[in-house]
Amino acid sequence: MSDEGLSNETVHEVGEFYQLLTAQLESAFGRRHPHWVRGEIAKVYEKSHMYVDLVDAGSTSSDSKRPVLNAHCWATQWAPLKRKLASEGVTLSPGVIVNFYGYVDVYAPQGKIGFTITQVDVQGLLGDVARRRQELIARLASEGLIDANKKVSISPVPLRVGLVASPGTEGYSDFTGQLLRSGYGFEIVLVKTAVQGEAAPQQIVAAVETLDRDGVDIICLVRGGGSKGDLAAFDDERVARAIAACSTAVFTGIGHTGDESVADLVAHTRAITPTKLGEEIAALVDSWHRRHVRLPAQKVLDATNELLDEATEYAAERRRTMIFAVRDRLRSEQRHLGAQRGQLLVHSRHLLSSTAQALASARQLLGAYDPSKRLAQGWSIVTTSDGGVVRSLDDVALGDSVRVLVSDGSFDSTVSEKNGAPS
Amino acid sequence: MSDIGNWNEAANELDAIVASFDEGEVSVDDLFVKLERATLIIETLESRLDATKAKVDELAPRLAKVTEGE
Repeated sequence: MSDEGLSNETVHEVGEFYQLLTAQLESAFGRRHPHWVRGEIAKVYEKSHMYVDLVDAGSTSSDSKRPVLNAHCWATQWAPLKRKLASEGVTLSPGVIVNFYGYVDVYAPQGKIGFTITQVDVQGLLGDVARRRQELIARLASEGLIDANKKVSISPVPLRVGLVASPGTEGYSDFTGQLLRSGYGFEIVLVKTAVQGEAAPQQIVAAVETLDRDGVDIICLVRGGGSKGDLAAFDDERVARAIAACSTAVFTGIGHTGDESVADLVAHTRAITPTKLGEEIAALVDSWHRRHVRLPAQKVLDATNELLDEATEYAAERRRTMIFAVRDRLRSEQRHLGAQRGQLLVHSRHLLSSTAQALASARQLLGAYDPSKRLAQGWSIVTTSDGGVVRSLDDVALGDSVRVLVSDGSFDSTVSEKNGAPS
Repeated sequence: MSDIGNWNEAANELDAIVASFDEGEVSVDDLFVKLERATLIIETLESRLDATKAKVDELAPRLAKVTEGE
């Protein structure tokens, strides 16, 4: 540039130059006239205000000529924006492609032309988050990690429960309350972690690895309900990979009904809430207890009662049977004796009757031989002096005195002659 | 304890006595002896049963407590 030239041109002071530049920019863009700018976050820094370097998506840092937009969001606007992003589970981090709404400004003290952010395209970011989430799931699936932990066998009685949670939270209380109320002797091995925020994923990973080494029966990841942002740690790739690599079954109870984190997908078993997870674990133990303790005990009780009833009935039946058997036997003997007694009576009567008849016959026969009847007919009976009946001549001798009995008396006589009967 | 053997042995002997009555094999001379033996067996079995029931009554509530909910 020549001296002549310099004398004809207006020379601006620095401040004046920046004023001119600002005026030109405002002339071109309008004063604080907002525009949408899309770019990939190259750097992000936050200290009350949020500062971000935005570059063209896909450009590389090795490209020394790539355009960089120094954007910033002042604290008054950043605070509510940050809360909104957090509630949706969105974090502005390097690599994220984002649409910023704002206006151009010039910051003379640092000689920077920048961009003041007034809005962030949350919907666009959500789409990006969802896309990256799907990409993560696809990646995990292609590596066989979705089902890896599901193949881990679990103890039939998972009483030693490793718990990854933040004590004092509702989710923690809901979960542990279920285990305590179950009445079973659960041992809870707690590893405290943050369950939201930037530090949470790494803490959760460390907790899972610690409990895996500890040899608990199962590991439970518990976190109550919250915004998507609150639950973002459970969509973290590091957490998902830690679960997949874990040799202990990992159970999750994260958020509310409808929330499904990547951790849920990778876990061995997923419950829809911490309360449900507690219920399901208690139900597992209860199921085992029922099959192996309560039902066998009931069978023993039933069998015992049945056996006792049978034995009681047997003894009672035998008692009745014996009473009837003995009574029957005695009655049988009584009947037999009675029959014999009757027969004996009949026989006796018959004997008496025939004896009486014989006696009568004898008596009749005897009557025929009654001496008085013979005497009345004229017959007489001669007896010797000693009373013997004279039946033959030989019974007397001549001169013997004999007595002659007749029907109305007797008289004495002397044997003077003996004459034999004519032959 | 009476010498009736264990439950099964005693029950078998009792059954045999009852069978002998059923079949009319018991003479009047044997009747009292068999009745006396049968009575002894039945009383002993019932006594054992009562003792067992008492033990079961003591244990059953404990077992029932285990089965609560079934």
